[in-house]
Amino acid sequence: MKKLTFSAMLLALWCGIISSAFSQPTQPPEITCFESRKGASEVVRRDLQPGWPNVKCSPKTGAVLWWGDPFDGTVPMGDMPTVENFPTGKAVVKPRSEKIALMPMCAVACHNGVGPKFNPPKLPTSKMPTPIPTMAAMVPDLQNLQHGGGRIWCLDCHHTNQRNKLVDNFGNPVSFDQPQLLCGKCHGDKMRDWRDGIHGKRIGEWASTGKKRWFTCTECHNPHNVQDGARNRGFPQIAPEVPPQLPWGMKDAKHELRHGVSH
Amino acid sequence: MGVAALMTQSDDVKATVEWAEQFQGNYRLMTAAEKAEARARLERRYSAQYSKKVTVDTSEALPGVLMGYALNIRKCIGCRRCVNACVEENNQSRGKNPGERIEWIQVLRMERGEFSKEKMNEGYPEGLGIQVGGNAYTPAGQVLEGQYHYEPALVPEKDATYMPIACMQCEKPPCVKVCPVRTTYREADGPVVIDYNWCIGCRMCMGACPYWARRINLTTPVLPKAEMNPVTHYLGNRPRMRGVVEKCHWCLQRTRQGRYPACVEVCPVGARKFGNLLDPQSEVSLILARKNVFRLKAELNTFPKFFYFYD
Repeated sequence: MKKLTFSAMLLALWCGIISSAFSQPTQPPEITCFESRKGASEVVRRDLQPGWPNVKCSPKTGAVLWWGDPFDGTVPMGDMPTVENFPTGKAVVKPRSEKIALMPMCAVACHNGVGPKFNPPKLPTSKMPTPIPTMAAMVPDLQNLQHGGGRIWCLDCHHTNQRNKLVDNFGNPVSFDQPQLLCGKCHGDKMRDWRDGIHGKRIGEWASTGKKRWFTCTECHNPHNVQDGARNRGFPQIAPEVPPQLPWGMKDAKHELRHGVSH
Repeated sequence: MGVAALMTQSDDVKATVEWAEQFQGNYRLMTAAEKAEARARLERRYSAQYSKKVTVDTSEALPGVLMGYALNIRKCIGCRRCVNACVEENNQSRGKNPGERIEWIQVLRMERGEFSKEKMNEGYPEGLGIQVGGNAYTPAGQVLEGQYHYEPALVPEKDATYMPIACMQCEKPPCVKVCPVRTTYREADGPVVIDYNWCIGCRMCMGACPYWARRINLTTPVLPKAEMNPVTHYLGNRPRMRGVVEKCHWCLQRTRQGRYPACVEVCPVGARKFGNLLDPQSEVSLILARKNVFRLKAELNTFPKFFYFYD
């Protein structure tokens, strides 16, 4: 008798669990989309208010098409050679160093400065890139590093002892959140244009004194892949969004090749 | 439906509001009280129609501001994110059937030709489409007037350049000159706008515009509730009706509140720039001072406030 009661209770309990599991509303799938290019900063779609998402993503390419709040997840840019009289606190960036998956390991696991060949530090005298199988597996672009036409190598940009940092002209470490301090060493003209808002991308308020989110160099450019044979500009090739709808009665777009735009 | 709603004291928000809209004046001639009334009416109607809280901004032109736009044509990679961002922001029709999708920005793809001294005396180019650029005998520069239904796997393509065009917000707009009902006009801070309620759909402006910037809703606009942008402006992105002309207005609902237009924010290469031409420190003023700038069809004396530049 006791056994029967026990099994009945167990059955009731099991039914309860199952029914509660089924009664829960199904969660919408989490959508992550990239902001400027794949491999740089990403954002998870969520609702800021009912009917007002933080971003809208392209169903075709997965790129962000629209920002509800341009300052979501940003921090003050900090010290930077800004435009004269640019109000402090109005320049923000999205921190990237926390997002790079391997970054916490770099200065600990391998590049801790106390490896067999690095104690005392003994660096190669030649600047010819040396094949490093472990790094090549993690960053495939290093197989053919063409930055600077092959004239520069890893330690021209990465700090010798602190591999989770970049390096400026004086050997001081530079955060991955401020790559412009590194890139401006060679690309001074672009740095000036970027600082004045002519080069690169900024979102937020358009007034020259407005609050803006600045996109730093590496959010748009991949420094390890700067010369791609198939493209003709300093930006990696990406998939385009959907083309416009064809006019009434037009089956394909071949007419454009013969007659130009139909206006 | 409107008459019936009025006669029967119906609760149908859409019907009663549409009836009231028929009797409102031209937006430019409305008093402040009439504008507030029209705004409240529209907010009520759109909120009911799209099941979310919709705001209709009626803010006036900003003092001391002349909006300007600049586009770096050497940067553009033809990815069309601006086109789609514009559709998302401005509540354009986005149906699947022919004629139901409206885009205000066109990205033209142009093929690169070649120029060589040896070909100078050869005959007219054959099989290359319309020649634009170069001389009469050799297709130099661009060999096609432009494609905009291009669909390669990856952009930018090696032998192509891209040229986005949209409304140039002319200082002397031909579309305003021809409008028989004076529904379209130029705001004091730059953009050319349309009072959709007064548009009769005659399409004179579409014929007059030398930049192919205007579109008409020939079908009833398809705008899903979930995708509707609830932050709107009366002269900007509020949902349009069938049979009216619409066009780019530099996202008035954003720019009047200080934010960049949607196409500027979304451009992945930062080719698009927006700012106040009267502010010497603004991005556009600095571009005009420093870069090589031209305007499209400058010979037509429309004086666009949209500038193309290259480094």
